[in-house]
Amino acid sequence: MEDPPSLNDKSNSYVEFIKAVYRTVDRPVTWLREKVVVPNRPDNVYYHQKFRRVPTIDECYTDDRVCHFEAQQQFNRDKKVDGEIVQLVRQRYKECLIAEQPDHTRKCAKLQADFLKVSENFCMKYADLGPLNNVKDAYMKQKHRMLWERRHGKVGTGMKNQDAL
Amino acid sequence: MQGAIPAAIRNRLLRAFASKVNLPKNAINQGILVLRSNPNNALQVVRQMSEHRTMHIKPSRWSWNRFKDFMHFYIMLGAIPAALVITYINLFIGPARLAEIPEGYVPEAHEYFPHPITRWLAKHVHKSYQQEYELMCHHIYEIEYEQKLRQAENRIKQKMAEKQDTQAYYYQPVSSRYERSIRDNAQADLEISGSV
Repeated sequence: MEDPPSLNDKSNSYVEFIKAVYRTVDRPVTWLREKVVVPNRPDNVYYHQKFRRVPTIDECYTDDRVCHFEAQQQFNRDKKVDGEIVQLVRQRYKECLIAEQPDHTRKCAKLQADFLKVSENFCMKYADLGPLNNVKDAYMKQKHRMLWERRHGKVGTGMKNQDAL
Repeated sequence: MQGAIPAAIRNRLLRAFASKVNLPKNAINQGILVLRSNPNNALQVVRQMSEHRTMHIKPSRWSWNRFKDFMHFYIMLGAIPAALVITYINLFIGPARLAEIPEGYVPEAHEYFPHPITRWLAKHVHKSYQQEYELMCHHIYEIEYEQKLRQAENRIKQKMAEKQDTQAYYYQPVSSRYERSIRDNAQADLEISGSV
């Protein structure tokens, strides 16, 4: 099935007229910006900060509060980064849906699977823990999930007999 | 003399005279001030020297005037200068562009932000993330140290209370730090002033 026709292929006098009206405003402004404003600006750069990895909460002694604090800060940063990753994947999926609207089930299937996988992993690690980013709560959640999986098998396959608990 | 002036003319003259004389009934019509009796005081003396000016009784314009003052203050000295400064900064300095960190270079804290105003604040006003982080780490270290000392003390007290085998009851911890300090200060005063 071929893509629907887009305005970039062909053109008519009406479209050309509208484009010309746009250019009367855009051309002077763009010229001023590119030739006058931007060259006279100082060329500042900024960087994305890279943080060193510190021991995680499972590598800290129980009475080492400084280690706990550093693990907590690292957890907060990782949660933000993972949240942004989920946002990016979700945004890509949404854009695909909007762009391919009648054929989205077929054309966006891979992006949908990716998004569901990524958000599932995010929720496994961070969800249902309350509003405060407590790294120990997340660690305990992981421990309980591993115990549950040891007793009942993979999450999603149902509980074995209740006596096992 | 009675009949010298005709009656009509006399009445008209009398009426004209009466309307100008100092009487309260004339004053109320014309709005001038008169000599009148005041039940609170004996008499109120009032001049009739000014022009016809009265107090214009109207509601207070104080709130409206204050509103105008505030409007002028916050717009002329607040919003407009701020808008001009921010426009200038956005046009002629502009945001920074993203770049890779060069090898072996440790950027300063203010080089992690794009907007010039944020960069300036990060450079001259705020503490950096690393500074606050390390301050917190040190604070936790100190507090934890004191906590552990206190916990150890409590454990020792608990054991002493359990076993009851130490002479802790009779031991008074004495420090002569303060007495020594007083003695040294007194000696210094003696040396400086010649008397206690």
